[in-house]
Amino acid sequence: MDELKKLLATVLNIDYEKVDDSLSRETTEEWDSFNHLMLMSEIEKEFQISFSLQEIEEARSYSDIRTLILDKKQ
Amino acid sequence: MKNIFDIVQVAKPKTIPEYFQCSRKIRKAINREDTIQWPHVKIAILSSFTTNGMEEILTVKCCEQGIIPKLYLAPYNQYNQEILNPQSGLYAFEPDLVVVFIDTRSILDQRFQNPYEIDNEDRKTWADNAAKNLIMLVQQIKTRSSAKIIFHNLEVPLWSPMGILENKQNFGFFESIEYLNEKIRDEFKRDSQVFVFDYNAFCSRYGKQDLINYKLYYLADLKLNLEYLPWLADEYLAYIKPILSKTKKCIVLDLDNTLWGGIIGEDGLEGICLGPTPEGRSFMEFQSYLLALFNRGVILAINSKNNLDDALAVFRNHPHTILKEQHFAAIRINWDDKVSNMIDIARELNIGLDAIVFLDDDKLNREMIRAELPDVLVVEMPDDTTLYLKTLAELNDFNILQITEEDLSKGKMYAEQRQRDEFQKTVRDLSDYLKGLDMTVTIERATPFTIPRISQLTQKTNQFNLTTRRYLEEDIRRFSEDGNWLVLCVDVKDKFGDNGITGVMIAARDPAEWRIDSLLLSCRIIGRDVEKALLAFIIGEAKKSGAKKISGEFISTKKNAPAKNFFMNNGFSLKSKQGDTEIWEYNLSTTYKAPDYIRVITR
Repeated sequence: MDELKKLLATVLNIDYEKVDDSLSRETTEEWDSFNHLMLMSEIEKEFQISFSLQEIEEARSYSDIRTLILDKKQ
Repeated sequence: MKNIFDIVQVAKPKTIPEYFQCSRKIRKAINREDTIQWPHVKIAILSSFTTNGMEEILTVKCCEQGIIPKLYLAPYNQYNQEILNPQSGLYAFEPDLVVVFIDTRSILDQRFQNPYEIDNEDRKTWADNAAKNLIMLVQQIKTRSSAKIIFHNLEVPLWSPMGILENKQNFGFFESIEYLNEKIRDEFKRDSQVFVFDYNAFCSRYGKQDLINYKLYYLADLKLNLEYLPWLADEYLAYIKPILSKTKKCIVLDLDNTLWGGIIGEDGLEGICLGPTPEGRSFMEFQSYLLALFNRGVILAINSKNNLDDALAVFRNHPHTILKEQHFAAIRINWDDKVSNMIDIARELNIGLDAIVFLDDDKLNREMIRAELPDVLVVEMPDDTTLYLKTLAELNDFNILQITEEDLSKGKMYAEQRQRDEFQKTVRDLSDYLKGLDMTVTIERATPFTIPRISQLTQKTNQFNLTTRRYLEEDIRRFSEDGNWLVLCVDVKDKFGDNGITGVMIAARDPAEWRIDSLLLSCRIIGRDVEKALLAFIIGEAKKSGAKKISGEFISTKKNAPAKNFFMNNGFSLKSKQGDTEIWEYNLSTTYKAPDYIRVITR
C-alpha cells in the first residue's frame, strides 16, 4: 500500500510518514471534497479499479480506502 | 530556499496531484521571493461549470515559461452576473486576459441528451438566440475592459439519438452547434480584442471520448476531465505569451540530421536523405513547414559545424531541397563552437537571445546551448526523425496578436538584409554602397491601411527615434484626421527587396513654424540616409505652406544614441537644453540638399 500512502501524501500535502490509520477526512483539513474526488480518481487509475459513486462518497479515511482497494483487488 | 524557476525545472509534474503539489510550492515562493523581474499577467476565468484545478495547473504552466500569473476564478456558473454587473469582481480585478468558457452541456441542459424534443425550426430560433446572447456577453466585457478575450467555441457532441441519420436532419442537433460556432467565428474575425478559441478542435485533438470523467461530472459537475487541464493551459499560453511580448522571432537550425538525413561532409550530395523516399520525405516536409513559418514572418538562420561549401551545395544544387540560401537571414556554417555562433547570429540580426528557438538533433549541442544561453528556447528534438514535423508544428511560441504586412514578410526582409550586407563587403566605401543600393523611398500620408503599422513602429522603435513617443492606433488616427498635423510613413525599397514601412514622421503644422513631434526609423534601415530624404520632403512642404522655420526635439534615452546627431548634422541649431530634452530649430530660408542617390516618390 506504499502507492496509496504516496498518493495520499501528495494530494493532502502531508508527510508520507504521517499517513496512518488515524488519517481521515475529519482529522485532516486538506482533505476537502475536491481533494477527495481527485484522490479517488487517481486511485482508480493507479490500481486499475473502479469505485461506485456510493463508495466514493462513503470512503472517509485511509483505512476505508485501503479496505476498498484490497476488496477490489482480490 | 528555492526560487520558482528551480521548482518548476525539478518538479516536471505529470499527474494532476503533482501539479497541485508544485503549485503549492510556487505559491509559497511567490509570497516570499522577489519576482519583480518576471512578467506578471492577470487572468480571469469565467466558466459555466466547476473549474477546480485550473488555477493550480495554469500557475505551474505559466511559471514554466517564466511568467507569474494572478488568477481570478469567477464563482461557480456566475459568468452572466460577473459580465453584466459593472461592479463585479471580474472588473475590479482588472484582468489582462479574460477566458470565457461556456460549454455545450451547460447551454443545452437536458436538451443535450434529448435534442429532438424540439423541432428543427425551433432549433434554428434557439441557435440564433444563443449566438446573439453569447456575442452580447463578449461585447459587454469589451465595453468595460480592455483585456484580451479568449472565447471558447462549443464542442460538437459525439452522440445523437438520430444515429446515422443525424446528418440528414434539416438543421439537426450537431448542425446547430456548428452553426453557432460559425456565427461566433465570423463575428470576431476582425476584432483585435477577441480571440475565438477552437475548443471543439481541442476536444477532438485530445479525444471527445474521454472528455468527461462521469463520476466527477455527477459528483461535482466537472465537465472537463482533469487530465485535460494541462493541455488546455498550454492552449491559453499561446495567447498569454504574445500578450507579454514573449514571442519567438527566429529559428536557428542545425543542418546534418536536422534539415536532411545523414552528414553532407561524409555522405555527399547524392548520399544525404532528402527527397521522395520514406525517410527523405520526412525531411522534405519538415523543410516545407519551416518555409511556411518563414512565409508568415519567422526568421530562419543556420548554426552548423560543417565545411561551408559542402553545406551550401545542398541549398544550391540538391534537387529536393525546399529551403534555399535566400531563406536564411544569418548563416554560420563553420567549425566554431555553437554558442559563440549563436551569440553572433543574435547580434547580426539585432534580436535578443530570448527571441530565438534552436533546433538541433544533437543532444550535446542542445545541452550546451541550454547551459550557456538559457534565454534561447532549445527544443527537445525527438530521436525519431519522422516526428520532427509534429514537434515543430506543436510549438506555440511564434504567435502574435495582430499581423501586419511587415510582420508577414519579416523572414524575407531579414534574409535580404544578409545579401545587402554581403554586397556592402564588396564595395569600397559607404557612399558607393548607398549609390549601389539603388534606393527608392516612398513617402505617404497615413491611411487606414498603414495606421496599425505606424502605431506599431512608434511602440517598438528605440534606436533611431528622436522623441520615443508611443502612440496607439487611435492616437495616430486622430493626428491623421486633424488638419494641423501631418503623419507620414516611409517605405524603403532597394535592389535587394522591399523593406516595407520602416519610417515615420509626425509633425504639428502651425502657420509660422512646423514642429517635428516624432521621427523614427526601424533599425534595419538606419545608416542609409533615409531620414535625409524624409527631412528634405518636409522642408519642401513647410516652405510651400509659408512657414518660416521647423523645430524639433531630441529626448535622450538609454537606447536612442543613433539619433543623437540628427539635428546637428542636418543644419539645425540648438535653441535650448533642459534635462534630457534638446530643442533644435531649422531656418527655412536655408537650402537643404537631399541625397541624390535616393529616388523619392510621394503619394
